[in-house]
Amino acid sequence: MSTSSIETSAIPGEESPEDPSGARAHKAVVRRKVGLDRFALLIAFAAVIVGFGVDEPSTFLTVGNLSNILGSQAVLFALVLAVLLPTVMGDFDLSLGASAGLSAMTAAVLNVQHNVPVLVACLAGVVVACIVGFVNALFVVWYRNDPFIVTLGTMTVVTGIIYVVSGNNSIGVVSTSLSNWIFTNNLFSIPLEFYYGLGLFLIVWYTLSFTPIGQKALVVGQSREVARLTGVKVDKMRMWAFVFAAGIAGIAGMFYAGTNGTVDPTAGSTYILPAYAAVFLGATAIRPGRINPLGAFIAVYFLATGAAGLELLGAQTYVQQIFYGAALVIAVTIPKVTRQRIRRRLIQ
Amino acid sequence: MAGTIHERGVSPVEKADRAREGRDPAALELRNISKDFGDNRALHEVGLRIDRGEVVALVGQNGSGKSTIVKVLSGFHAPEPGGQLLVSGEEVPLPLAMGQASEIGLSFVYQNLALAGGLSVLENLNLVTRVRSGIGAWSPIHWRQERRRARNVLERYGVALDLGKSTRDLPPVDQARLAIVRAAEELRRFRERTGFLHSVLVLDEPTVFLPEEDIQFLFELVRTVVGEGAGVLFISHDLAAIREIADRIIVLRDGKVVEEAYAGDVDEEMLVDLIVGAQTRKASSAPAQALSASVDGRSAEEPATPPTTTPLGVTVDRLAGRSLRDLSFTIGPAEIVGLAGLIGSGAEDVPYLLFGAALASSGTLRLGGKSFQIPQLTPEKCVRQGIALVPADRQVFGISAPLTIWENMVMLIEDSHYRQGIFHRRELVELAQGGIEAFVIRPPRAHVPAGTLSGGNQQKVVLAKWLFATPQLLVLHEPTQGVDVGARRDIYRFVKAAAARDQTSVLWVTTDFGELAEVCDRVIVCGQGRQIGELAGDELSDDSINAAVLRQGEEAG
Repeated sequence: MSTSSIETSAIPGEESPEDPSGARAHKAVVRRKVGLDRFALLIAFAAVIVGFGVDEPSTFLTVGNLSNILGSQAVLFALVLAVLLPTVMGDFDLSLGASAGLSAMTAAVLNVQHNVPVLVACLAGVVVACIVGFVNALFVVWYRNDPFIVTLGTMTVVTGIIYVVSGNNSIGVVSTSLSNWIFTNNLFSIPLEFYYGLGLFLIVWYTLSFTPIGQKALVVGQSREVARLTGVKVDKMRMWAFVFAAGIAGIAGMFYAGTNGTVDPTAGSTYILPAYAAVFLGATAIRPGRINPLGAFIAVYFLATGAAGLELLGAQTYVQQIFYGAALVIAVTIPKVTRQRIRRRLIQ
Repeated sequence: MAGTIHERGVSPVEKADRAREGRDPAALELRNISKDFGDNRALHEVGLRIDRGEVVALVGQNGSGKSTIVKVLSGFHAPEPGGQLLVSGEEVPLPLAMGQASEIGLSFVYQNLALAGGLSVLENLNLVTRVRSGIGAWSPIHWRQERRRARNVLERYGVALDLGKSTRDLPPVDQARLAIVRAAEELRRFRERTGFLHSVLVLDEPTVFLPEEDIQFLFELVRTVVGEGAGVLFISHDLAAIREIADRIIVLRDGKVVEEAYAGDVDEEMLVDLIVGAQTRKASSAPAQALSASVDGRSAEEPATPPTTTPLGVTVDRLAGRSLRDLSFTIGPAEIVGLAGLIGSGAEDVPYLLFGAALASSGTLRLGGKSFQIPQLTPEKCVRQGIALVPADRQVFGISAPLTIWENMVMLIEDSHYRQGIFHRRELVELAQGGIEAFVIRPPRAHVPAGTLSGGNQQKVVLAKWLFATPQLLVLHEPTQGVDVGARRDIYRFVKAAAARDQTSVLWVTTDFGELAEVCDRVIVCGQGRQIGELAGDELSDDSINAAVLRQGEEAG
């Protein structure tokens, strides 16, 4: 199933040559409105910042708060980048959160219980995650199964494996050198993990937006059969997407281990749905209708900012869930509402 | 009888009709049915009648009006005022509402059979035996009873099928038989329920995908249905089949009934003449004979040596797969060769077999001095070797609707615009801009999503995409389907220009024979999976190709 084919804000009847001048002027207005859709998320983001900044200037507009927002999202942001890859291709991978958790747990167990040097342990974690990715690729692409169903299964399996590997314990404390490299050390008061995430983002963004491979990936996701008939190696690309995504999820797991020091068996599982929310929310921005990394980037930090602001106002942490979900549903509905209103007016 | 036009005086059929009138009303009668689509008169005062227990065949070329009549009967089209529909002698007001047909004793089986593939045989039969709406829809289904009922139904028609089997797992002939049983059963219930004696089963091209041997099973079933008292309207291109099963044959041409005859009174030649128009006979038969002679001659001269490779140009040897049994042909550089055949002839499979999009069972392809085993070809390999395919289903295989025009156009050439880590998008957009101008695409805006374009413009984008890659072989399948007249002309122009300029070999496969006559240098005619004729140059015309295509019965023997 192709999940990245979200309806574009195409204006009906745009190319009909015979048109009374009234309708044409109308359409010009409409075109401008639709153009603004791309920036709706950014505008909302700005509004949120201004809103909370005006309301709670002393707590909101502080370096500490900024550092908190940017730093706390690194694990989620890495997972968002992981989720982007199969989603661009029109596939689903629900197991990425669990893969991140498995990577973190593997690294923790190796480092804490077997005294494996932390860097090697982390690498092992990433490799383990990649193996999960390969298993997904095999069952989804090679054996032609529905990706939703397969990854639902692997997610459950991996979650079970995490419990086995950890003996149903939380494993800590992972070597402080990891924590230093990821969380404790700062650049401009922002934890290093933000910059690693940024680096990953730049690689993914570059590949998806500035290379022919990225363009082909787009076609695979939007019109898979057209891609196939144009000679694109559709199956190969999809398989690699699963593997790379899992690798990035493995890195997210590393971030987790570094940030928290102690890895509990539920690590990672709570991130998968917000990650998808951010990816779909991001698809409404910058390049509406297309899964795109820049939009996802904005979405993650928009959601984080909003949630942080709400917390500062005294809201409980679970408000985050409501905010994430509501933002997603509203964001994908707005273009439909404007388009329907336009369509009705054009018909009259 | 109103509406019939004869070329040879009063037919014996009409005499018999006039004798019969006043005694037994026809099961179904159409009088003076006309249908206009804008300026186009698709049906002109058509009249036909079907009696109880009679099989009437309706034949005609594509565009003769056959399917329009079926659509009028099913309520899909409203005929012009002045037409009449009589059922069992009683007039039914036109236009029919959709679905009303079953209430007046009409039942349809279309080419696609309309069976629910995932459901079992029992469930498909069940679909017609249940009350479909109101409180009846909530009454429980007693499956054992249903099974018994279904088994009785199948026995009555002499069809043995496994009730539990999923319909899509049945062989095509059994699917067709199931569809017919279901429709016949619907008619029988109608007769029981209303007490009327008449009922008409309309079979629209049911034999198209069936192999010869299986068609007999179908006919047995039709005879059983007829034996029960239903009338059958049988629409088909298969002239041999029609002469076997039909009692009477009605020929439509350009929306008018041009002949009505008893099946025993006409042979296939006469039928072809009537369908196409007598003057094409001489023109098309000679080259067909000449071809058979040359094929025999060639195989006698060079039994051992394989055909020589043309340094430029394309040769296909013994291609087989799907409905195609054995086809070989050569296309020279800058030559446009057409492939004509009815559905089921194998012609429509050739583009996909060649491109590796459908699995071929055998075949060799020679182009650019290299030789390939066709069963091992994939779209990716073909693209690399310079083979291009413009597929029929534009929406799924041709154009990516969410992507912009330029993104669609540059799909094949984007790799060469990525140098030293920089993707030169602007170059590609400019190239696309040039393509938009050259191919006259409206609106001429590169960043518009391709899904908003009209069919004709979309097709031009698809064509541009492939021509940008300067292929050695360009294969087109139904390239102007759903394309407006202006874009059609453009497409003909562009393909001809590309062939001439780049020495591209072109294979043009379509059921629009007039198009083939206009664009192609040569047309190969297919029937029953093989080549049955070839036409070239002056012989090419819509009618001559039609005639050649209908002659499959003669050539295959």
